[in-house]
Amino acid sequence: MKSKPKIKMSRKIIMATIATIIAAVIAGVLLFPVYWIITSSIRPYASLYTTRFELIPSQITFDAYNWVFFKSNFFLRLRNSLTVSILTTIFTLILVVPAAYAFSRFKFFGKDKLLYGYLAFTQFAGGLGITGLIALYAILAYLNLLNSLVVLAIIYAAGGVPFNTWLLKTYFDTIPKDFDEAALVDGASYIDVMWRILLPISKPGIATVAVFSFMGGWTEFIVAQTILNPENYTLSVELYRLMGQYETPWNHFAAMALLFAVPVVVMYMIAQKYLQAGLAMGGVKG
Amino acid sequence: MKRNREYLNRWLVAKNVMKKSRGIWITNKAFLLIISGLLVFLFFNLYPIAYSVYLAFTNANFYNIMGKYSVIGLENFRKIFFHPNTKFYYSLGRTVLFVITSVPLKVAFGIALAVLLNSAIIRGRAIFRSLLILPWTLPAVLSILMWRGLFNMDFGAINKILMSIGFPAINWLNDTMNAFIAYNIVEVWLAYPFMMTVILAALQSIPPELYDSAQIDGAGRLQRLRYVTLPLIFRPLWFATILTSNASFQAFLVPYLLNGGGPARTNEFVILYGYKEAFQIGEFGYAAAFMVIISLIIMAFMFIGMKAGRMTGEE
Repeated sequence: MKSKPKIKMSRKIIMATIATIIAAVIAGVLLFPVYWIITSSIRPYASLYTTRFELIPSQITFDAYNWVFFKSNFFLRLRNSLTVSILTTIFTLILVVPAAYAFSRFKFFGKDKLLYGYLAFTQFAGGLGITGLIALYAILAYLNLLNSLVVLAIIYAAGGVPFNTWLLKTYFDTIPKDFDEAALVDGASYIDVMWRILLPISKPGIATVAVFSFMGGWTEFIVAQTILNPENYTLSVELYRLMGQYETPWNHFAAMALLFAVPVVVMYMIAQKYLQAGLAMGGVKG
Repeated sequence: MKRNREYLNRWLVAKNVMKKSRGIWITNKAFLLIISGLLVFLFFNLYPIAYSVYLAFTNANFYNIMGKYSVIGLENFRKIFFHPNTKFYYSLGRTVLFVITSVPLKVAFGIALAVLLNSAIIRGRAIFRSLLILPWTLPAVLSILMWRGLFNMDFGAINKILMSIGFPAINWLNDTMNAFIAYNIVEVWLAYPFMMTVILAALQSIPPELYDSAQIDGAGRLQRLRYVTLPLIFRPLWFATILTSNASFQAFLVPYLLNGGGPARTNEFVILYGYKEAFQIGEFGYAAAFMVIISLIIMAFMFIGMKAGRMTGEE
């Protein structure tokens, strides 16, 4: 009687070990591409163009980073990318925060229709992207607005209006109206309510919107490539040019690609706490 | 007495007027708050879509795009459907084939990984989960170009591995069939975190008591999967499948960034074909007509998929 549970326990341990090893192997295979691009950026050029497969690099060099920092046009592209992403974030907040406040707090004519129009757009918009882009190009060409980073940022912010308005509106909805009503009774204006009460409480929701719009501007590729001229290309377009148009050495591409990913990963980690709170309260309920 | 009533009436009217005017004021205020976002959205998103529908009936191209194009009726649509050299049917067929191959792979992969991560016996599930979600957090441009490097004939890691275990190198991206396989691999890699997360969340929302009572009733492992797990995760799984089918149908970045939909335009899925016709060939009118047709197909598909999902959920 006594030995039976013991055998069961050890069997359980063996099973657990096997299952964990299987999971580890699967994770290893799936994450191999990421491992490979990271190590490629510090492998010597010569080792990359041999047919021999070397899992762990036998030699390490920072040549590729040297190339990125001192010989490529990385900083020009970085400046363009930062300009677009920061402007996208600012435009998004300007366009979305007041609207979300109005949708959350006021009753007005056509409110529900507009909200559901926005929602329907977020559901179907994906397929319309290139369709709209063809005409957008024609319109911008006609207005002589092509090749502008500011216009690009406005396009990104505009595309995010429906989703971000919904996200922030549902977030505002979770804040009890008693707060602003109490302030209104005390003689505060609507602007005061928004600025002094709603915004400070809504930091997670606003951070979510800000991070999403920044990352959207940072990583978007196709609109940027279409409406910008080469001198204004952003980092994401530059990456494509390195890989697609010029036969750039793979280690050079790897180094620039990783530097391109750093802000995304860092922002994701910093904002993770906020993002989860913001999405949990805003996005899922919407 | 009469006087009092008059006062009361006046007071009521005044109160009502004040209430109404406050309502109008709030309406104006609300519109002021909403209008900037709405206008920018309308101008940069809805107006271009409407304008594309107009362009579809014109002969707009690179040379006359500044405003000198003219309406040519249904000519573009006639070319798309009936021209002997039209690539509409080929491109649509290729895209549907991609949906048929990539969606089952994505679903199967998502289920397998979710079930694996959901099994209680694995150590460090949280770590595995956050590691496996990594492809989701990377920018798509970076991921796809990274895969382009992995598939490269000269320095790609995949061929290096194949050769080190005795296989010949494969020309991945310069061959129609191989490139199509490569698209599937990349698409699965990009999409499995989403499928896995949705299914895992559904699995974890199943109360364990259900399994216990099924077990007491004598249900085996497979029966529990069939009669407990599957019905309970069906709805989220269905919606995730619809969304990911839609993503496959609209695959653009994967073929474009891996090899431009090549070799020799043989792998151009519908959206990529429309994009290239506009921005590389310069036929804006023709491309707009093409994209209008594709958009209608996508919207019909999404509409039917969502409706069907809601109906099965109601039974």
